[in-house]
Amino acid sequence: MIRTEGLTRRFGSRVAVDGLDLHVPRGEVFGFLGPNGAGKTTTIRMLAALIAPSAGSATVAGQRLGKANREIRRRVGVLTETPGLYRRLSARDNLLFFARLYPVREPERQVERYLRLFELWDRKDEPAGSFSKGMRQKLAIARALLHEPEILFLDEPTAGLDPEAAKTVRELIATLRSKERTIFLCTHNLDEADRLCDRIGLFRTRMLAVGEPAALKEEMYGRRTVVHLASPSPGIELALHLPFVTKVERLEDRLVVTLPDPDAQNPALVRRLVELGAEVRFVNELRVSLEDLYLDLMEGRDAKA
Amino acid sequence: MRRLRVLLLKEWRESLRNKMVLFGVTLLPLFFVGISVYMLALGAGIGDPAGAIVLFNTSLMYFLILPTIIPLAIAVYSIVGEKEQTTLEPLLATPISDLELFLGKALASVIPAVLVNWLSFGLFLAATRIVVGAVPLQALTVPWLASIFGLSPLLALFSVGVTMLVSSRASDARAAYQFSSFAILPGLIPLIVYSSRQTLVDLRLVILEGGVLIVASAVVLHLAIRVFRREQILTRWK
Ligand SMILES: Nc1ncnc2c1ncn2[C@@H]1O[C@H](COP(=O)(O)OP(=O)(O)O)[C@@H](O)[C@H]1O
Ligand SMILES: [Mg+2]
Repeated sequence: MIRTEGLTRRFGSRVAVDGLDLHVPRGEVFGFLGPNGAGKTTTIRMLAALIAPSAGSATVAGQRLGKANREIRRRVGVLTETPGLYRRLSARDNLLFFARLYPVREPERQVERYLRLFELWDRKDEPAGSFSKGMRQKLAIARALLHEPEILFLDEPTAGLDPEAAKTVRELIATLRSKERTIFLCTHNLDEADRLCDRIGLFRTRMLAVGEPAALKEEMYGRRTVVHLASPSPGIELALHLPFVTKVERLEDRLVVTLPDPDAQNPALVRRLVELGAEVRFVNELRVSLEDLYLDLMEGRDAKA
Repeated sequence: MRRLRVLLLKEWRESLRNKMVLFGVTLLPLFFVGISVYMLALGAGIGDPAGAIVLFNTSLMYFLILPTIIPLAIAVYSIVGEKEQTTLEPLLATPISDLELFLGKALASVIPAVLVNWLSFGLFLAATRIVVGAVPLQALTVPWLASIFGLSPLLALFSVGVTMLVSSRASDARAAYQFSSFAILPGLIPLIVYSSRQTLVDLRLVILEGGVLIVASAVVLHLAIRVFRREQILTRWK
């Protein structure tokens, strides 16, 4: 659905996006994570044929970027960073205007469908300027969907919303998942990415890592088992001598053991500890949050080292 | 061009709900009509037929100035408005073409400006008849009528062309507005001619100004369309 090769955008001497290689298959929810100024909006603008890349190429919804820009615009929907609604026009007129700019067969019916779906029908005749932030965001998402785009770009859909509105919008996005629709979600909200996305890309001008959230964490940190011991003898971590253990750390009365396959190797680990005279109180897996991963990557730390 | 109609209707729907635009479009013509009729009434009281004709000619002049000023009120809002409401990016993300967007924005101000101008001309004649008693028909020459009906669309078009050209280049649309006020100048050419000849009698002169305006508008619109590029207005109209 989206494929880019060396996609680059410069503003004067500043490089906003540097050699992005990306493949997002149909039906995937892809999370594009990065801090402010990372180049997320610039990437969306390029992929939605709003601004031209300085270098590189891309295929979006089967169309060559730069060759079939109008066709791309017809096939993608964009939720821009700010909702961008005509304040003086009613919710319905806002949507009707956009529906008529796209090839939407029955604009009135389609607008009604989305207003009802997003629970805005009761307020359809009120000017968009009178809406709360959350409602405006819903209306803007509806606008991006009216022409049933193959790809939906969402640029920080919950930024600036209060927690309740953010939750509503997040739940709404979760319902938009479908086999036919690819969703490209820009965010710096990690929880959101973890919950909504099939795969995520960590991005800051360049792509730092791509993969399923769980796989990424594993790749970065390996899997780690934490063994809580009752008054362990000093130096017990040095006496383990197990071939499959890649790393052991001692944190007070806990051992943090890095090992490739905990499901198979934990029993042997526990047996060995008991042999060494340790009393095992309990064993659990160390869960790394996406936040740890993100912060480590953004700060250029290599967690495995 | 179906999208052009959709955009025009949107622009007008928005304008009708915008007090600033409504005031700009209605107040100035009403003011001119009011002043003109008042002056004519005063002149009629003095009982100097030649003086009355001069006053009447001055009034007619307003209907060549109005079509250059009215569109600015609409055009500037339709650009500043998109910027302030951040609606430009969603709009540019649709399959609308640069040309459709340009023409939509331009015609959205030219069409009402011309109609309002003609309407206020009608209002002026009616008010003159009621207040002064009669319209001095001998002063309402063919060249005058040709100017008011033939030149005003061209004057409006030229004025909007300059506004669009400047605002797709300038980063501040309000500055563009000030600059575009210069677009009023061509409307003043007949005024200069009039003041040297007492009344507008020469149809050739009107045709000449029409020709000049057609060429000037074509040049300005051509340039404006050339610089009116999606990426430029997305990154500059702010
Ligand atoms: N129109 C522009 N002109 C100049 N620089 C820009 C423009 N748009 C974005 N940039 C720069 O490109 C970088 C990436 O911006 P952006 O894509 O908005 O990041 P993000 O959306 O991830 O916060 C920033 O340094 C920003 O200042
Ligand atoms: Mg951004």
